Formats: sequence, C-alpha cells, structure tokens
Amino acid sequence: MRVAVVGKGGSGKTTTSAVIARTLARRGLRVVALDCDTNPNLGISLGLGDEETERLAAMRDELDAGDAEHAPSWDELIDRFGSDGPDGVRLAVVSRIQNPEPG
Amino acid sequence: MRVAFVGKGGAGKSAIAGTFARLLGRSRDHVLAIDSDPMPGLALSLGVPSSDAPIPDEAVEERAEGEQGPRYRLRAGLSAAEAVQRYAVEGPDGVRFLQFGKLRGHVATLARSQFAFRQIVAELPADDWSLVGDLPGGTRQPFFGWARFAQTVLVVVEPTAKSLLSARRLARLALAEHPPEALLAVANKVREPADVDLVAQRSGLPVVAAVPWDESLAAAERAGRAPMDAVPDAPAVAAVASLLERLRKGCS
Repeated sequence: MRVAVVGKGGSGKTTTSAVIARTLARRGLRVVALDCDTNPNLGISLGLGDEETERLAAMRDELDAGDAEHAPSWDELIDRFGSDGPDGVRLAVVSRIQNPEPG
Repeated sequence: MRVAFVGKGGAGKSAIAGTFARLLGRSRDHVLAIDSDPMPGLALSLGVPSSDAPIPDEAVEERAEGEQGPRYRLRAGLSAAEAVQRYAVEGPDGVRFLQFGKLRGHVATLARSQFAFRQIVAELPADDWSLVGDLPGGTRQPFFGWARFAQTVLVVVEPTAKSLLSARRLARLALAEHPPEALLAVANKVREPADVDLVAQRSGLPVVAAVPWDESLAAAERAGRAPMDAVPDAPAVAAVASLLERLRKGCS
C-alpha cells in the first residue's frame, strides 16, 4: 500500500499520516513514513519526540548546506535519513533538495 | 508600520494579518496588505471580494543588458506607488490588497510577477504606506527574500508541539537571513494562561500578544468571512487590536 496525504497547512495532514502509519504497523505491516514537508513535523505526530524530530530535520538541512552527501539509493536514504519510532514505523525526512528560488 | 506574519500552516497567520490590516486601515490612510503565499488566503480574512489581485504580465519587463538589479522589474515609468494604485484591489476600511500570484501553471509568469511584487514592496514609500504581509506558511519560503520589507516579524504560534517546533525553526531562519528590528511571537488559540508561558519558553521569543481561542472567530473562518465583518466584537479581534496598540507604542 502506498499512500500520500496532501492538503492546506493546518488541515491535519501530518496527524492523519501518523495515525495511518501507526495503525498499519500495528496490523503487522512494515511501514516507512516519509516526511516530504519542508517544515518536517511528522516525527512529533508519530511519537518520536521533539529532539529526534529536530535531529532528522537538521540532518536533512545539512544536505542543503552542502555539508553532507545525498544517499544514492532509496534504501540508503531510508537508512541514513531515518529513525525507528513507536510500533516499528520507520520515519525518514526526504523533502526535495532545495532550490533557493521560491515558487 | 511594516509587519510580516509567519508561522506554521494553519497557525492563524491570515486571520490575524487580515484583521490587523483592517484595524490599521481604520486609523491610517494607506495600508497595503500583501499575500505572498502561493496558497493565498488573506483575501477572505480581509473581506476583499476578489481573491485574485495579481500583477499583470504587461506591468513587468526584463531588465536591459548591463542594467543593475534582478532580471525583471516594473516597466519603465511605473513607480511602486502607481503600481499599487493600478493593480491592488481596494477592500473594506480602505485597505489595498496585492497578491504575489496564484500558481496558474506557468512558472515563468510567476517569476516575472515575483520580482515586480518584491520591487513594489521594497520601493513603496515607507512614510506614506503601512505594509502588512501574510507570508508563505511553513519554514522554507518566508525567508527567501519575502520578509525583507518588514521592520517587525511576528511569528504566529499555537500552543502545540508542531507549531512550537516550527516557531523555533522560523526564529532561527529569521535571524539568519536579514534580521528584522523586532522578532516577536503572537500566541494564538490560547485557552489558558499556561499556553502563553509555553509559547514564550518553547519558541524562545518574547510574546507580544495572546489571541484567545475564539469559537466565533472559528465560525467566521469556516464560513469564509472576514472576522472584522462577521465578528468585529470577538475577543480574538480585541486581542489583535491590542497587538496593534503595543506595536504602535513600540514604533513611536
């Protein structure tokens, strides 16, 4: 199953995504939760806590700053930019590589 | 007064910015409310009938080779003030409304209007005009040049973990790019005094106003009506009025 959640800011994307991810995980599925938001908060709703959520975000930011190399494959991406949360959900912060021009 | 509102999506930027601009419009002659969010929502909170007030393509031209500055600019002879007179929509309380532009499919057009938009905001005479900006939600876009016009950047924060985390990130980014004269938090959807303390502690910013959770404001938002039209006596509107007063005192 592959699900993407979209919507206006504040409409509940992150909360909905987290509940879906953890519900699937509790039913025994292997779940990867991808935070594609440039303001990545999914870790909070999944239950990883402030600190771990910020650690993942900071790691993602290092890519934009040019301080880190990007992962060459999807499994390495999940491995390097991810973290295990409650119910065994693997969270990875994978927002698009930054283009400094807005829009 | 030049103020920009930033915050996590859904924190209440538009509702507060729209109300703030209307209150300012009642006491000052010239207010330009600007929506630089590509998912625009300020028009509804301002009570402007049109939700689309873009800068047309013909107002923008490419800079001649060798001429200093960004690639596009307002067409020769068109000043920022004239562009506002011509293209900004006039709303209630005399507030002028200008929008950076919705995503209409063509990114090239958007890039042209973006430069014109920024030029207008940068060159509009500060003595004659107050500027109220509703900046893009989230953390990526607001500080790529959108907030430069602002003397005061107000981070709208709900007392929730995600909003607080976003506020900390925004505070960091605001100071990194082009630090404003004042960077302050507006606590929104406050249900108890402890919420304000939480915002102060976790955002690391001075809290300049506490806007209460307000069922009547939420109802106006659901109905797509401007708080100033639907519920002018709501406690949340009163809180925005005191925010305006506090900033006025700070500015004078």
